[in-house]
Amino acid sequence: MFQRAFIRRGLTFAALLAAAVTPSLARAQGTLVVYCGVDEAWCRAMTTTYEKQTGVHVDMTRQSAGEIYARLRAEKDNPRGDIWWGGTGDPHLQAADEGLTEEYKSAALPQLRDWAQRQAERAKYRTVGIYLGALGFGYNKEELARRKLAAPACWADLIKPEFKGEVQMADPNSSGTAWTALATIVQLMGEDKAFDYLKKLNGNINEYTKAGAAPAQAAGKGETLVGIAFQHDVIDVAKRGFPVQVVSPCEGTGYEIGSMSLIKGARHMDEAKKFYDWALTPDAQKIGAANGSYQMPSNNATPIPPEAPDLSKIKLIEYDFAKFGSSAERRRLLARWSTEVKNQGR
Amino acid sequence: MSDAVIFRGVSKRYGQFAAVDVIDFTIAKGTLVTLLGPSGCGKTTTLRLVAGLEHASSGRIEIGGKDVTNLSAAERDVSMVFQSYALFPHMTVLENACYGLRASGIARGRAEAMAAEKLALVGLEGLERRLPSQLSGGQQQRVAVARAIVLEPKVLLFDEPLSNLDAKLRRHVREEIRGLQQQLGLTVVYVTHDQQEALAVSDRIIVMNAGRIAQDGTPRELYEAPRNRFVADFIGDANLLPATLRRTGATEAEVRIGTLSLTLPHRGVADGAVLVAVQPHSVRLGAAGEGLAGTVAKAAYLGSHREYEVALPGLAHELFVVAPVAQPLAAGEAVGVAFDPAGLAVVPEG
Amino acid sequence: MTRLWLLLGAVGLVLLPWYGLETPAASVLGLRAEAAPALFAGRWWLWPLVVPLGMAFAGWLVPAGVAGLAWMAGQGLVIGLRGWGISWLGLAGAAPAQAAMGWGAAAFALACLMWIAIGLARRGWCRGDVFVLGALLLITGLIALFVAWPVLSILSSAVRDNAGAFTPGALPDKLFNRAIWGLDCLGGGRGCGVAWNTLAQALVVGVLATLLGLAFALVAVRTQLPLKPLVRVLSLLPVITPPFVIGLALILLFGRVGVVTNFLANSFDIPRTRWIYGMPGITIAQLLAFTPIAFLVLLGVLEGVAPSLEEAASTLRAGRWQVFRTVTWPLIRPGLANAFLISFIESLADFANPLMIGGNFNVLSTDIFFAVVGAAHDQSRAAVLSIVLLVFTLTAFLAQRAWIGGRSYTTVTGKGDAGLSAPLPLGLKAACLGVVVPWLVLTVVVYGIILGGGFVKTFGRDYTPTLDYFLTAFSIDRGVGGWFLSGSGWRSFITTMQLAAIATPVTAFLGLLTAWLLSRQDFAGKWAFEFATMMSFAIPGTVVGISYILAFNVPPVELTGTGLIIIISFVFRNMPVGIRAGLANLAQIDRSLDEASMTLRAGTARTLRLVLVPILRPAIVTAMVYGFVRAVTTVSAVIFLVSGEYNLATVYIVGRADVGEYGVALVYSAVLIVTMAAVLVGISAMVGRQRIGRRGTLPAAELATT
Repeated sequence: MFQRAFIRRGLTFAALLAAAVTPSLARAQGTLVVYCGVDEAWCRAMTTTYEKQTGVHVDMTRQSAGEIYARLRAEKDNPRGDIWWGGTGDPHLQAADEGLTEEYKSAALPQLRDWAQRQAERAKYRTVGIYLGALGFGYNKEELARRKLAAPACWADLIKPEFKGEVQMADPNSSGTAWTALATIVQLMGEDKAFDYLKKLNGNINEYTKAGAAPAQAAGKGETLVGIAFQHDVIDVAKRGFPVQVVSPCEGTGYEIGSMSLIKGARHMDEAKKFYDWALTPDAQKIGAANGSYQMPSNNATPIPPEAPDLSKIKLIEYDFAKFGSSAERRRLLARWSTEVKNQGR
Repeated sequence: MSDAVIFRGVSKRYGQFAAVDVIDFTIAKGTLVTLLGPSGCGKTTTLRLVAGLEHASSGRIEIGGKDVTNLSAAERDVSMVFQSYALFPHMTVLENACYGLRASGIARGRAEAMAAEKLALVGLEGLERRLPSQLSGGQQQRVAVARAIVLEPKVLLFDEPLSNLDAKLRRHVREEIRGLQQQLGLTVVYVTHDQQEALAVSDRIIVMNAGRIAQDGTPRELYEAPRNRFVADFIGDANLLPATLRRTGATEAEVRIGTLSLTLPHRGVADGAVLVAVQPHSVRLGAAGEGLAGTVAKAAYLGSHREYEVALPGLAHELFVVAPVAQPLAAGEAVGVAFDPAGLAVVPEG
Repeated sequence: MTRLWLLLGAVGLVLLPWYGLETPAASVLGLRAEAAPALFAGRWWLWPLVVPLGMAFAGWLVPAGVAGLAWMAGQGLVIGLRGWGISWLGLAGAAPAQAAMGWGAAAFALACLMWIAIGLARRGWCRGDVFVLGALLLITGLIALFVAWPVLSILSSAVRDNAGAFTPGALPDKLFNRAIWGLDCLGGGRGCGVAWNTLAQALVVGVLATLLGLAFALVAVRTQLPLKPLVRVLSLLPVITPPFVIGLALILLFGRVGVVTNFLANSFDIPRTRWIYGMPGITIAQLLAFTPIAFLVLLGVLEGVAPSLEEAASTLRAGRWQVFRTVTWPLIRPGLANAFLISFIESLADFANPLMIGGNFNVLSTDIFFAVVGAAHDQSRAAVLSIVLLVFTLTAFLAQRAWIGGRSYTTVTGKGDAGLSAPLPLGLKAACLGVVVPWLVLTVVVYGIILGGGFVKTFGRDYTPTLDYFLTAFSIDRGVGGWFLSGSGWRSFITTMQLAAIATPVTAFLGLLTAWLLSRQDFAGKWAFEFATMMSFAIPGTVVGISYILAFNVPPVELTGTGLIIIISFVFRNMPVGIRAGLANLAQIDRSLDEASMTLRAGTARTLRLVLVPILRPAIVTAMVYGFVRAVTTVSAVIFLVSGEYNLATVYIVGRADVGEYGVALVYSAVLIVTMAAVLVGISAMVGRQRIGRRGTLPAAELATT
């Protein structure tokens, strides 16, 4: 009868729809849930390469380091992720500090550079360094020339009145990059002076973005004149043909140690450890440069990409990861920044 | 048990408003009973109470000797023909007719045979595969009837079944319904607001007004002996004239209408001011000076008969009169008015 | 039938795994401790559930159901994953622990509900109709669990500090915070509180959207321009457009290096500014999104003004302006109020456009988001902000319903009203056209950018055509295991389609069932039931998202990180589509059809299945399509709920746009829009051919306003 035909048609339609939306994936050899804290393209390249090489099905979510940290906290009673790969080191340290991540010593540990091993030591081997990137900023060359302004070279230049409404940085509440910037300024100037500086800088900021890499992109496109970001992010934008110049601030600058941690209580711990070991190999670490991420890789055997900022020409500060990686200090400084700087308006 | 439907003190209230206000009646098996009244009088609600589409707020309803007060429509042995016919638009004529049988759990083949038989009975042979939208109004109506009678219900309900048909068809269909009812010996409850229709088809008529029963009787009783002003007014085009009554015997009374004095059955009405219901065809118009003095106010020729409005200055009333064609009168003419006692009934005032 | 439900209760208790929502087979085969059925899980506090089961078998259905549900809820709340769930009870000793309820619990709860329904029906409730009572209890139960309980969780979270301690004393401080209610912007210098920002934004958008919608409606109805079909097509676009894409396109047009800005700067030396970021940008984006809704509302109202009234006025010597001012305007005034309130509510709830183009102009919906996802992870603050937003939207929603909901303000009689509408006063006509034409151009340009912008190298700088972004998102590659979808967008795209496809029939089913209960049944407490179902319309998506996180992150009901929670949010967010479609269509179907079926011995369920469902078929399909499209394009609620395994297209696009990868974001949006348009056109073509006639389609306005 009429309605039966309708039901039959409906079922056929549903079946077709289901067939259409089911991925025609070859049945995976296993599953791994990766929380990825670096640039999307790099995350993607890492996971697809791993999938291709091993047949393991990788579920990857890309989020900023701060968001992943927040997620780990939220899920701590019932973890969903297996491994947290990439993203600035502080939240990794914090997570280690709070016991959200699992201790693991990879066989590859001795092959790593000093700073990467030190990062692991600091976290009692609950994390490990995978790359190093120095903080800095980028400015749009065309815009600068059009306005006939002197190129900024130091942190101090960014609070000059001619840059009013022309500086962009991420919100340290949501971005690990911006947190590194905040910690760097505090370490360079001392806390009170640093907040004086940040309040003045606040007057020149046009937007606190959510993502750490966004200011570099915006500077490249000319949406802002200056964007505070990691230097490798700025270089990536420049490599894609945008008129942006990277600057390593004259006073010195902080840096991040991009890290990797196993999530405590991971449902696929064995798979996660295999990925962990693989991610420390030179082969895996080369993927970054191939996908526009020019950080310094942590394995001694990995070739340093020619585009990477020359560390010998950058004045790196003695970044106190122990202090600025701790949850308490972070909460205190963020709260102070939120009330004294961000909520002051401009 | 010869009563198919019994209502005992049944009410249906919506908040403060009583749509049906404590009514009692019985309907004998194999009869056609009409619920008649103006719109909003509660007749349709009463019908829906029988069907189980509404549930009584108080009182008790029996169908076929069984208390059905709390049963749902699907559990009662009744079926209904709706004013709009309510044919399922997505089913064919045959599927519509089969519906109730299939719902009662009868196998498809047997249900279709039974339905086809009833469709033939109402003259719809050959149209089984059509959709309702491909039928005329009269045919749709027959499908609705066939769909209802195929279940051989204890009571068959009609809710204004003729109101969507044109005037010519109406008379024809109502005769068919009456014929079918008598042929199959069905018990039918029939709702209408058209007194002609009611008089034509009914064994008994229940006249309703404002949620109560105004009168319950045969068509003839209602027409010739209305119990109150409402019924007298509603049935026929009766004129209501003021009069005074004085009992003169066990059943007889002297009734004075203006200067006229008549002897009529008092029908239990007390002495004093009363009304007299005068059927339009029982007025005799004669030469001026005989009977009540009147003047023709309006005159109309309708082919089969003439209609007049006659002013009665003595009573401050106008009289509606139906007269034979052979007696032409013009507007303004003075006449004498007399009555045929057979067309008169005493009605209590108010 | 009673036996069936008794059996289900027993199965839930004895056979199905009590804990965990993995597929029952998987958890049973896994032989995990939690996978055991309730009675064998070694949890003594589950054993008393045998008592209600016994009572049910003994025939005491209502007490059994109530007791079963009460004990389930009680033990679930008291005994949590890590011990005592309610600290203030002061329970001491080694705390027992349990995971979240699973299939067994769900089956048992459903059985309990049905016992109550059967028991009440036997006592003569709802005319003794088990089906009606069962449907009523099922929907009420679902609404209680998935609407009321999350909202209560927000309230409870607002009186706790971030560590979960109960601190009601801090609430006034949090609620009347300067960051929310500050009025400093009036004095200059600092920004105003986020609550005022939100209200001001909604007010501006409400007024402007109404005026624009009126201009469009006047042009469509009262001029000879062939704009009507065009405007109607454009008014459907927002339905299939992911909401934030408009903001994105505006940045590409009016950003500091946007196309228009470049042109103005290069040709006229107008300085580049960032004016678009903030209130102006949000306003334009929201106007593009909401004006069509206002237009559809006002179109209906204007078409309802009987021309004879205006003709009467002009025969009484009134000029064009006088006719408009004294007759037309007063007649459409309630319609204007309605359009205003709808746009106002939409603006309050809008999340994606402020996120995309808001710059530093914060509104409540984005602040709620940042309170949760930021490193601060301040659920308590998010809860407080949610309460403020909830109060705003509910007030506006109730005002709209109370004031306008039931009022009929047009002069439609259903009879043809011959006559010609009064021509517009010339000045008004010019003003309308002056607004409408540029706006149409803007709309077309915006959609042009959305559809084409992802296929050039860098929109605004380099217009070399490229497929790079498309391939990034949707390439297919070959690896060890065979072909696989290597594009970055595939996973979220497929997940989105799957989850939406699963949610859609459930949405339509629950929505139409609710509509049927509301329109065809009378029962005690109908008013409250209607209010509860309508309430779920009014809760902004952001609030739904945060409330789901708060309510379903830990046992007794733990759903975060699953696909199920996304499906559930789709269902309860989009149920209004089904309800409205159902109500509109049921109103057109003569009640005597159901009654005829009932008098022909068919029960309620059979009547629904054989009579109403076939007749409502076009409405059902249309409701399903719109439910599907809305599920696919929604952002606000699901951005809180996505996980590594279940990421959604819109959330992915927002993420791309957020780091400035506009190319991928635009390509992906274009793919979504084209897919949704294909679904819409395809299905309506399919349904259109098979329609029975005379039943109308679902009016777009009906859907747009839900």
